[in-house]
Amino acid sequence: MPSLREWQRAFSAAAVFNDAAALASLRIVAGGMKPEARIGIYRANVLGNYRRALAATYPVIKRLVGAPFFDAASDNFVRGHPSTRGDINRYGADFSEFLGSYPPAHDLKYLPDVARLEWAVDQANIARDAASFDLTAFASVPAQLHGELRFSLHPSAHLIVSIFPILHIWQANQPSCSGDERIDLDEGGDTVLVLRRPSDAGGIAIERISRAEHLLLATLAAGRTLDEAANRCAAMAPEFDLAAALQRHVAGNTIVAFRAPVVPTSESGA
Amino acid sequence: MPASTALPVSAGIGLRSPHIGHVRAERPLVGWLEVHSENYFVDGGPAIAALEAIRRDYPISLHGVGLSLGSADALDARHLGRLKQLVSRIDPGAVSEHLCWSHVDGRHLNDLLPLPFTEEALALVCDRVDAVQSALGRTLLVENVSAYVRFDDDAMSEWEFVAAVARRTGCKLLFDVNNIYVNAVNHGFDASAYLTAIPADAVAEIHLAGFDSSGDCLIDTHGARVAPPVWELYRATVACFGPKPTLIEWDTDIPPLEILLDEAAQAQIILETCDAIAA
Repeated sequence: MPSLREWQRAFSAAAVFNDAAALASLRIVAGGMKPEARIGIYRANVLGNYRRALAATYPVIKRLVGAPFFDAASDNFVRGHPSTRGDINRYGADFSEFLGSYPPAHDLKYLPDVARLEWAVDQANIARDAASFDLTAFASVPAQLHGELRFSLHPSAHLIVSIFPILHIWQANQPSCSGDERIDLDEGGDTVLVLRRPSDAGGIAIERISRAEHLLLATLAAGRTLDEAANRCAAMAPEFDLAAALQRHVAGNTIVAFRAPVVPTSESGA
Repeated sequence: MPASTALPVSAGIGLRSPHIGHVRAERPLVGWLEVHSENYFVDGGPAIAALEAIRRDYPISLHGVGLSLGSADALDARHLGRLKQLVSRIDPGAVSEHLCWSHVDGRHLNDLLPLPFTEEALALVCDRVDAVQSALGRTLLVENVSAYVRFDDDAMSEWEFVAAVARRTGCKLLFDVNNIYVNAVNHGFDASAYLTAIPADAVAEIHLAGFDSSGDCLIDTHGARVAPPVWELYRATVACFGPKPTLIEWDTDIPPLEILLDEAAQAQIILETCDAIAA
């Protein structure tokens, strides 16, 4: 008898990769049904679990390509990208990257970006909760220090830039839509903010934002000061109304916290 | 004031996402609810908030599908840590896992895979149950799984293996009557052998579910009503071990909540009838 580890390795090879030698080494009792058929039940269960899990995370991708294509993509993905955790709900972080190099999806150039959007929605659903922006504390910061402040985005906030109209594609492929709408891939790309609304407002918001807004939020999310973000935005889009954008994203709960600059003490200030 | 922690000796149902809104709004009359632990391995958001709200009205059982007590790989410390966090957040009446394995060399198959019933597997599972009980600081319930294979190298029967895990570790058993029936049919054994082998005081919870009989063997789909012979075996189980918290599980083709409640009501009648006989 092989060790339990060798035996489990063989079971995995037989169930996931149809490895005949591995199957033989398991010494399965036939009992009226061939070992191939018995291990086949596990293969169907395992691959089926991943098909369902990926379809739950990527419903728009499934609708775009159809069930047979999606299921085949899922099976291929599973074989090359093993799940690394016991929680199947979080499986599929690399699905977008996989679709980008999956030969049958070669002509569907927009798929990886739509998948990134769906993954962001999934992650936004489970991200940490956060208190809203403390306007009272902010009011007590002298205006001349505002430029030195650093801001944090809500843990659910995700920013996605695509050269394809991914939000339009996503919207046209929701369960309530007929799916007959023709979308021109050359209509222009989408820059999108994904954000979980406070529990009383419910659900995930997916919002198209301007490139300057994206630059502002991405710069703040990277831990830069407001001054740095303002300079970058001014260089990219001189007409951009930074104050209005900030106000909107504080009110909308995209920006949830700020940190004042660390003032050096006299001991450490040398 | 949250509902009592302990699972009552009554019928409960598995709570799945399609029914969460309904349960929160209507608070149906059912003794307790069971959820899959992994569905709440989240940092925040609506799912865990809903479970915390529901916990105020019902005792909750946390039923894990991914800890993999039987893997030759080391226990997944991150998974166990998540489970421990969830246990302290929800204060469940029971925490259960399956007597199976699901990962090897770090590759997770995310399924309840069968163990060979060998001394090596038994010793490993017992070590893991000890480790989990010690990490969580509480008694774990361990569930027998359905299986479509048996192995020439099995050194003991399934019921000997299950009973030995309970005896050696002091864990309790989640006695899945449907899985026993499915295995008895698929592997040609007499389910009553199971009832005789298991120490009655080890059984802390019972599961009931439906299977699919359309193929060459019974498949444990949790996708149908409890079959008549499984109800029969359930009656024998309750007569043998006494009434225990009993769960209706339904995971695929999930029907309206009323159907689950109707199945639970049937289990409740059996539990109460048994009480009357015992008194």
